Amino acid sequence: MKITDACVHPYPVGDSTVARIAIEAAELGFDSIVAIGDDGGRYHGVEVLRGAVIGAAAVKEVLRRVREPAVRRADVVFVDAGDISFNRAVVAVKEVNVVRSIHATRRNAFDHVAARTAAERGVAVDISMAPIVHLRGTKRQRALQRYADILSLQRRYGFPLTISSDARSILRQRSVRDIRGLCALFGMTGAEVTEALSSIGRITEPHRPVRVVE
Amino acid sequence: MKPRPPTMRGKRRYILARILPYGMAADQKQVYLSVIEAATSLFGDAAVGLAQPAVIFCEGGYVVVRCRRGTEKDIAVALATVNAIADERAALRTVAVSGTIRALRRRIKPVRPLSEAGDVKFGETYFTVYRYPRQKVDLVEKGIKHQKSLFFTEADLEER
Repeated sequence: MKITDACVHPYPVGDSTVARIAIEAAELGFDSIVAIGDDGGRYHGVEVLRGAVIGAAAVKEVLRRVREPAVRRADVVFVDAGDISFNRAVVAVKEVNVVRSIHATRRNAFDHVAARTAAERGVAVDISMAPIVHLRGTKRQRALQRYADILSLQRRYGFPLTISSDARSILRQRSVRDIRGLCALFGMTGAEVTEALSSIGRITEPHRPVRVVE
Repeated sequence: MKPRPPTMRGKRRYILARILPYGMAADQKQVYLSVIEAATSLFGDAAVGLAQPAVIFCEGGYVVVRCRRGTEKDIAVALATVNAIADERAALRTVAVSGTIRALRRRIKPVRPLSEAGDVKFGETYFTVYRYPRQKVDLVEKGIKHQKSLFFTEADLEER
């Protein structure tokens, strides 16, 4: 079971290189990270997976973007969440692995229909620590409400969750212990956090029936 | 005033946290204000008032925060939401929790730059290079205030 930070943005988008983020991730208790826009590899014992983020207004655009070479090379494909119809459609796209930025959407944008489809297709919903750590006041309250709502849907339908720091700097990375504490704010148990942190491993290497190669 | 006997004093817990970035000269009062702001915005005045957090030590890149026993988990979560100290970007990483300051002092491993600081130029900007153990390299923009920082490794610096 690999403990993975599901999304980091290394230099030049952020101020820390992927190697430095990997060193810090190892010290914070992670086995692997998903780096957006990086080639991947292995740095100081931490596996770096390639990630690609698709920000689109319509599903047609998502279908076009998933065919781009950079996205096809990626180990994990993220799509920014949108309105209710977009989210329902995007979880049914085969190439999409994770729906992210759910905290920035309107209430009920990710509903029971999308949750059921996500569970059937094995599409994960990302819980970013950035809004809890960096926002204050009503914006953070709204993010906590949204995460609590996603958690109740996850308990009912069983779709995977991922947890990311969304870090653009080593100063924004948080340890596994801190993440447990932060997730407890919206009612996530320790076991659920551990399962969510190991979801990326199950997404990149899903359980499949044994195949005879010969 | 006669002090309270030990059995009547409230039980305390002490949290040791590391200050990032390395080499940041953080003032104890500024750290306290950042911790209180983070804790109050997360848990509210009532909960923070009962937790009685206080910064009792801030030296060598570490900070010790005191709180009432039973509230140490909440205060540790609040420390994770600290983003800045005195308007400078910073983070607090919880290292250990203990009932005595002495036990925490044993956990302190000061991080000092490995060699003399050098200079490097990226584009039009000059940076001062600070090297730390485990091949970590911090680049701090040359200037007076609000300098940009970059966090590299030795290998990254050689590539550029």
